[in-house]
Amino acid sequence: MAPPPALPVHPPSGPHHDSKPPKKSQKEMTKAERKELQERQRAAKAEAKASSQPSSSTPAQKKSNKPAEIVPRPPPTPGRAPREATRGAAAVAHETAAGANERGLRIFSHFGLPKAVSAPKGDIHPVTLRLALQFSEFKIVGANARCIATLIAFKTVIQDYVTPQNTTLSRHLMTHLSPQISHLVAARPMSVTMGNAIRQLKLEISGSDIDLPEQDAKDLLCAKIDQYLSERVLAADGIIEENGQKKIKDGDVILTYARSSVVEKVLLAAHESGRRFSVIVVDSRPLLEGKRLLSVLSHAGIKCKYILLPSIGSIITEVSTVIVGAHSIHTNGAVYSRAGTALVAMMAKQHSIPFIVCCETYKFSEGVQLDSFTKNELAPPGDRIATFPLTKPRESLTLANSPHLEVLNPLYDLTPPTSITAVVTEVGIVPPNSISSIPVALGRLL
Amino acid sequence: MDFDESSVKVATQEFVAVVLAGFGTNLIPLTSNHGDEPCPKALLPIANRPMLDYPLSWLEGSRIRDVLLICPAPQKAAISHYLHSDSSASSFPSLRIDLQIYDETVESGQGTCDVLRQIANRIKQDFVVIPCDFVPPPSFNLTAVLDKFRTESTYDGSIATACFFEAPKPDKNTVTEEWGMLPPPLPIVWDNKTGTLLHVDTPDDFDQHNEDLQLTMSLLTSYPRAMLSTSFQDAHVYVCRRSVLDALQEKSDIESLREEFIPWLCEIQYSTSKRAKYGAILNPPSNATTQNLALQHSTLHTTLPKHPHHLAPPSTEDVRTAASSPLDPEPAEFHDVSFRVGIILHRATQGFAARANTLQTYLDVNRHCLTQTTYSLPTDSESRALIDTKAQISSDSMVGHTTKVGERTSIKKSVIGKHCIIGKMVKVVGCVVLDHCVIADGAKLDGCILGKNTKIGAKAELSKCVTQAGYEVEGGESFKNEKLDVSDWTVPDDTSEEDDNAQSDVGDDSA
Repeated sequence: MAPPPALPVHPPSGPHHDSKPPKKSQKEMTKAERKELQERQRAAKAEAKASSQPSSSTPAQKKSNKPAEIVPRPPPTPGRAPREATRGAAAVAHETAAGANERGLRIFSHFGLPKAVSAPKGDIHPVTLRLALQFSEFKIVGANARCIATLIAFKTVIQDYVTPQNTTLSRHLMTHLSPQISHLVAARPMSVTMGNAIRQLKLEISGSDIDLPEQDAKDLLCAKIDQYLSERVLAADGIIEENGQKKIKDGDVILTYARSSVVEKVLLAAHESGRRFSVIVVDSRPLLEGKRLLSVLSHAGIKCKYILLPSIGSIITEVSTVIVGAHSIHTNGAVYSRAGTALVAMMAKQHSIPFIVCCETYKFSEGVQLDSFTKNELAPPGDRIATFPLTKPRESLTLANSPHLEVLNPLYDLTPPTSITAVVTEVGIVPPNSISSIPVALGRLL
Repeated sequence: MDFDESSVKVATQEFVAVVLAGFGTNLIPLTSNHGDEPCPKALLPIANRPMLDYPLSWLEGSRIRDVLLICPAPQKAAISHYLHSDSSASSFPSLRIDLQIYDETVESGQGTCDVLRQIANRIKQDFVVIPCDFVPPPSFNLTAVLDKFRTESTYDGSIATACFFEAPKPDKNTVTEEWGMLPPPLPIVWDNKTGTLLHVDTPDDFDQHNEDLQLTMSLLTSYPRAMLSTSFQDAHVYVCRRSVLDALQEKSDIESLREEFIPWLCEIQYSTSKRAKYGAILNPPSNATTQNLALQHSTLHTTLPKHPHHLAPPSTEDVRTAASSPLDPEPAEFHDVSFRVGIILHRATQGFAARANTLQTYLDVNRHCLTQTTYSLPTDSESRALIDTKAQISSDSMVGHTTKVGERTSIKKSVIGKHCIIGKMVKVVGCVVLDHCVIADGAKLDGCILGKNTKIGAKAELSKCVTQAGYEVEGGESFKNEKLDVSDWTVPDDTSEEDDNAQSDVGDDSA
């Protein structure tokens, strides 16, 4: 073949062209060289963009963008780009291995990684500090638990609050509570239940009577908090137990996923009232909450089976009903729950098994959610959660972030309303789409 | 307005820090009296900053405001003077330091527990005990210890959190036997996964069992994957619940916090008899709202005990409490509360930590601080003028201000205090020289610690010696591996008189 026509080599006009080989046309280059060129061009584009726009726009840009944003060093000259392009993934690994917390998560980068609880800004009440630690260390987990914990902590904060000189409780207390709420959100993103409860609390605070002496106003607020908890959480759970029991008959095989405080109560209540049934607990990593449910149920004397999520296909034919809990339920009837619930729902629907969601009305969220990518949360890496003793050292059983492996643990997923048979709430058993028609759920009637 | 701000800020301080400044019996003769004035251990300088600076700066960084500083009565004036001086007021602006004395003389040998019992009524909330001689590494934050305590005491009913560090092993040739015995290795047993301290060997155990380490079966049943090590030392930093002080009052025969009380506390978590006896004291029923209801609903928490032998016969009542409880705080059943003592281990790879409570460690800490900084000649002209241009001061030394250094003097790897006068042709290697010392020409000092106001005569040679404050060494004398004490002089009644030469008798001081 004739030697390829070489394009004229320009005299070096800066650091750019030092190490560049003479330009060949695209056809003549090997695949590797073409890729190199592409990477170089991308890197050059990335630098130009990196300083002005930190958020990545297209997936193509993401790869080269990430090294530029994450590592705060001066943008590399394009002369070094060929070397970098060949290093490729290794470059990302090198830089990010040093700051392991700042991995470039391609898919879920928009909801960020769990970060350590930062130094509290402002005057945070010790109870709030402790609560934030309980959240970030995954000691208090679950929509109900977090809401209860938040409200009880706020009761203490309200009792310790002193209204300053020139303002009233109804106006100032909310500004006092705001930094506490931000601190809790910084520890872990707020759950829908917490959000609804805090909204109700704000309503109560702004509606509190100016003429009341301070202690009375505080006591009234604490009483309102107690009332909210007892009516919309605990009493609601009681009614759901009764309603849910109707769905459990003797000889049933109930399947449940992970651990929901409401479902646990339903199953225990049904067992108490004398029904004979058995339970299959489906569990998944990394939290392995099902193990705790298993210990509670077997302690109560219920016959249980325990499987992990991948093996659900082999056991689904034996199941008579599936009962799960929820983190929140949306206007379109979609249920936002622990990651894996959607899979269970899909299997159940495929085999025509009724899929029942137990959910209090205060978990209702007014938004419409169509997928679990726009809003989700990542669990922190590592296995600091399970405390059951194991025969093998823990490190060999968990996946850890290594230079060529990133572990993603989204905590929630969305079950579409078409897979759900019924939702058991304290106002009755309703189809999922009609949640939005319940006045109580919308906070109108109380 | 400031007026409004102060009334909004809630005055409930979560923790109070108790800083214990003792006599420093292991640092004699450095801590012996200088004439009539005491030399408090807490004010001995490390890298030309008083020792007390280090724990106080550590506290400053952790957002604890209230500090209760306990010192023996004779030292109160000196420490109070330091606290009110300019240097300290600017370094710890946010600390409110309350200086209290405890009545003790060196001879009465009261332990740290008695000190705590005396001041128990001043402590109303959870507290942190810190010794005045702990030098924490910069990477180690007190907030980490506090956070662990906060998390665990809410979640688990843990009662305290302790802190152990891995001391760097000293080389054989740098250890001077005459300065005192190295502390014997301390075996501790802990559980790595949960960070629980399980067993600390006490000196009594050591005497009783000689070569064996005895552990109870209940410890091993509860924590089958416990780890044992002797390479850790106690930092004497304890974060405790307030109820621990009540338990301390109960056990009035215990004297030492580190040696007796903490090992005793560790036993409560797995000893059913101790739990039954002290459980109510350590976990008193109170009206404070707890997170028990939330924990019952939490999906990663079960109220069931881990092992069947810990519990009463199972009844479904226990399990149903989540559903039927009203909102009042539940009386905490004892199988819910673990009475654990948490532990935070600081490895040698994470940074240098030490307690400067013996002569050897005091020297080591100073040496370590020297490696962290490089020396440069002082910038203000007055101090600059005092240092002769022909003096050789190596970059790993530290010289205090207004110190006069004569010509052709070489100073290597040493810390020299303020207002010293060092003559010509002096060789100082690896020493710690406190303030106001006078070293005459031609002296050679190697690995020594000189107390305040020490005078070293011309051409004296001192190797690995420690002198008391105000000591005088005659010209031409040479000492090796000795602790030089003023009481060896037969006569003197005033301090540092040129006239008394009656001190030809220098004996060997053993610890």
